[in-house]
Amino acid sequence: MNVRADHIAGATFVIFGLTIIALSGDLPFGQLSMPGSGFLPMIVSVLTILFGLMLFVTAGESPRFSELSWGDDKHALLVTVITAIAVALYNYLGFVITMAAMMIALLVVIERRNPLRAAAYSLFIVFLTYGIFQYLLNTPLPASPFSY
Amino acid sequence: METTLVSLAHGFAIAFQPDNLGYAFLGCLIGTLVGVLPGIGPLAGISILLPVTFGLNATQAVIMLAGIYYGSQYGGSTTSILMRIPGEASSVMTCIDGNAMARKGRAGAALCIAAVGSFIAGTFGVIMLTLVAPPLATLALRFGPPEYTALLVLGLIFLAYMSSSSLVRTLLMACLGIAIGLIGIDNMTGHFRFSFDLAELGDGIGIVPVAVGLFGLGEILSTPSHKIAGEVIAPKLRELLPTRKEWREAAGPIARGSGLGFIVGIIPGSAHVISSFLSYALERKISKHPEQFGKGAVAGVAGPESANNSASTGAFVPMLSLGIPTGPITAVLIGALMIHGVSAGPQLVNERPEIFWGFVASMYVGNLMLLLLNLPLVSVFVAVLRIPYVYLYPLIIMFCIVGVYEVNNSIVDVWIMLIMGVLGFALRKFNFDPAPLVLGLVIAPLFEQSLRQSLVMSNGNYFIFMNRPIAAVLLGICVLLLSLSAMSFFTKRRDWRAKLAEAEAGETTP
Amino acid sequence: MDRRSFFIGTAATATALAAGPSFAQETYPSRNITIMVAFPPGGANDIITRPVAAELEKIFKQSVVVENKAGAGGQVGAQVAANAKPDGYTLLSHNNGISGYAEVDKLFDRKPKTTREDFVPLARLAADPVMLLVNAEQPYKTVKEFIDDAKKRPEAIVYSSGGLYGATHLPVAIFEKATGIPKLRHLPTNGGGPAVTALLGNNAQMSTQTVSASLAHVRSGKLRALATFGATRSPAHPDVPTLKELGFDAEYYLWVGLFAPKGTPAAIVQTLSAALDKASQTEAYKSVIEKIGQEYAYQNAKDFAAFWEADAKASDEAVKLIGRVG
Repeated sequence: MNVRADHIAGATFVIFGLTIIALSGDLPFGQLSMPGSGFLPMIVSVLTILFGLMLFVTAGESPRFSELSWGDDKHALLVTVITAIAVALYNYLGFVITMAAMMIALLVVIERRNPLRAAAYSLFIVFLTYGIFQYLLNTPLPASPFSY
Repeated sequence: METTLVSLAHGFAIAFQPDNLGYAFLGCLIGTLVGVLPGIGPLAGISILLPVTFGLNATQAVIMLAGIYYGSQYGGSTTSILMRIPGEASSVMTCIDGNAMARKGRAGAALCIAAVGSFIAGTFGVIMLTLVAPPLATLALRFGPPEYTALLVLGLIFLAYMSSSSLVRTLLMACLGIAIGLIGIDNMTGHFRFSFDLAELGDGIGIVPVAVGLFGLGEILSTPSHKIAGEVIAPKLRELLPTRKEWREAAGPIARGSGLGFIVGIIPGSAHVISSFLSYALERKISKHPEQFGKGAVAGVAGPESANNSASTGAFVPMLSLGIPTGPITAVLIGALMIHGVSAGPQLVNERPEIFWGFVASMYVGNLMLLLLNLPLVSVFVAVLRIPYVYLYPLIIMFCIVGVYEVNNSIVDVWIMLIMGVLGFALRKFNFDPAPLVLGLVIAPLFEQSLRQSLVMSNGNYFIFMNRPIAAVLLGICVLLLSLSAMSFFTKRRDWRAKLAEAEAGETTP
Repeated sequence: MDRRSFFIGTAATATALAAGPSFAQETYPSRNITIMVAFPPGGANDIITRPVAAELEKIFKQSVVVENKAGAGGQVGAQVAANAKPDGYTLLSHNNGISGYAEVDKLFDRKPKTTREDFVPLARLAADPVMLLVNAEQPYKTVKEFIDDAKKRPEAIVYSSGGLYGATHLPVAIFEKATGIPKLRHLPTNGGGPAVTALLGNNAQMSTQTVSASLAHVRSGKLRALATFGATRSPAHPDVPTLKELGFDAEYYLWVGLFAPKGTPAAIVQTLSAALDKASQTEAYKSVIEKIGQEYAYQNAKDFAAFWEADAKASDEAVKLIGRVG
């Protein structure tokens, strides 16, 4: 089957439009003279489906899906996972620990840099940022349970 | 006119008093810092420093706090250009071409143009403020929901000029943006829409998390480090300044951006946010080389940056002459004045001329200070780009997280940023341009609310848009623009868009 | 040092540090107190809470940090504070909004995220009476003229508010009920500032706004105050009658209160309210209240609890009167 990139993209938008309609079930549509809170969602989802279909129909001009380059997906996935872990821990371990750990992890795990240099660089940046926010701007960053 | 000049001279005498000069400088310095650092916007900066000003007199306080405000507008472009992190909604457009310039080794030029553009726009704004504040303020009051609706329709039409991708792709991105903009409490009826029982989503999804995710993080995800490892894009010192050609390309956009920004800035509400979007679309529309936009066009930096600075000065017009806030920041400034026992409003000029004119004069001085402060800083900021990319991007990710978190102290915002980063990665894969998405997100809630407010005012009668002169004129412009494009469609003269789309299609399909 | 031993090292240091502060728990407060402001910086809540925090800092000799946690008309801050550890180290600065969420949620068949039972009142920091304002271009000079016209032309007069079921919307419902006029047409905006702007631009003809938010515009002659919702006349507007004087049972203030999460130990609540009583007597606090155009309206924990009870009841009733819109 000759699947093109825009076949996938168009179909995704059609599904997205249908999802909005499904999710806005109980929102009142109102009338044209007094639109309710379901008015714009309905218009937007219909337009999304319409444009999605147009994309699907004209997909022949787009590159084949199988020919999209996925060479960077591993890197992107790793960065996303490490960042997600850091975001999940941010409010619990605070700025200093989480951000230093995240930067070290990015540099060591993904980029295979020397751990010592990575740690030195990350800690320098993190403490510099912390100092500026905490003392110069008097804006506390999230603290760890150990109160810094 | 003559009295204005006399009053202004008096104002300069106040602004040039050494301690007032010092507070203006302090405000500008803090503002620059606040603007450069992600997350701490002018709003937080002013609120945090408000208690510090209790010891000062009202003139000093307002000079310093306003310095923070316009200072941060200068600084806001820095992270956009260097790291593709838009610190606030108005720098979103700057980050597209500004960062593209930086990648071509023209970071210094982009920062210089942004600083000079900001200076010209800021000074233009103050001159206008000095000359025409009172009559313009009256105009601002007549800008109610129907006028707003008409303006946003114009904004939606401009959307078509924003992106180099095909019209269907642009509209799809706009729809996606509008759909995201629907999330949250419906202000008109109290319904929670698509918020999955999260109170944090009640106010809707902020522009900053979306823009930082799509542009900042998305860019990092789609830039595999091994490809550009060791490649340093920092320019040599003598290449910091813009070339003569770049100055020439910047002049027109700066002038147009200043004018456009000031007019949009006067309008009460959140209109100043769209000033930079309108300027970008306008520059792209009238440019002889629209294909350069998104790839480092000088006009794409100069126009929006000037527009956003001019708008922030324009915002002072209704604040000073009517005492009405045009946005959260001017609201804080009005509050600050109140704490010092001064109420902003029509009587301010007469009752406390030393504050009014001292403040206006200090803005001339402050803009000059900011230029002198920012130009030398360009070389310092550009040094950031000497950090190898492998070390730079973890730093950018940290800034993205801190910046987004600090805006609302909300971890939900950071998650949204992360999701938007992944979305940005996917969109790029499928050849979509995220800029119209951000504009859709900005316009959707404003448009929906003002349309429904207008209909409340007229009790459901659509003629309200024709009966009010400003709204009618704006809608007339919309019709004109649409019929112009329709005409070029019928006369079969393909505009640049079609040619461009064809050229791109030729590039991508083997 | 390889990667693993580095992480073990970090973990060990972390544990050692964690053990530190947990010893000193006997005296309250022994570390930073955070006051969460449920509204954005620069609003009345923020402006009033900051000097109080500064005074508490002096009394407790501990830093008292103000953190803005705005969103969804104050619901985000309320929810976060309600779920915070009730140890006296997280307090909440909120306003009238805290009373009404549960009732609004009931209206929409939603499960309330917070109810009044989730909070212990500590003090009322401010209470600003609401004024009945009209655009100066409108013909109304007295409340009676306004009522007569509203009866003559039902649903014709438009009023602006800062948001549905908010502190500038509920008083109108209370007013409608007390005077028996048919419903006015509602123009919701997103915030107090835009609501005043709508009134100034004559896009709305009436609005109920606080004394401090409207004083400058009344003085400049752009707005006219017809009545106050306060129990007594406002010193800023000695000529403007109260609604009570005119024989209408309507009273409404936009107040700022300080709360602790439910389950905070009684001893800590006592320490806090004593400290707040002390802070309320300071010049710094009084001058801020005066400068933003408000009257001194501090109430201690006991009085505030009683006031809140009655006020919340009135607000619940107003929400029910408004009902669902659209």
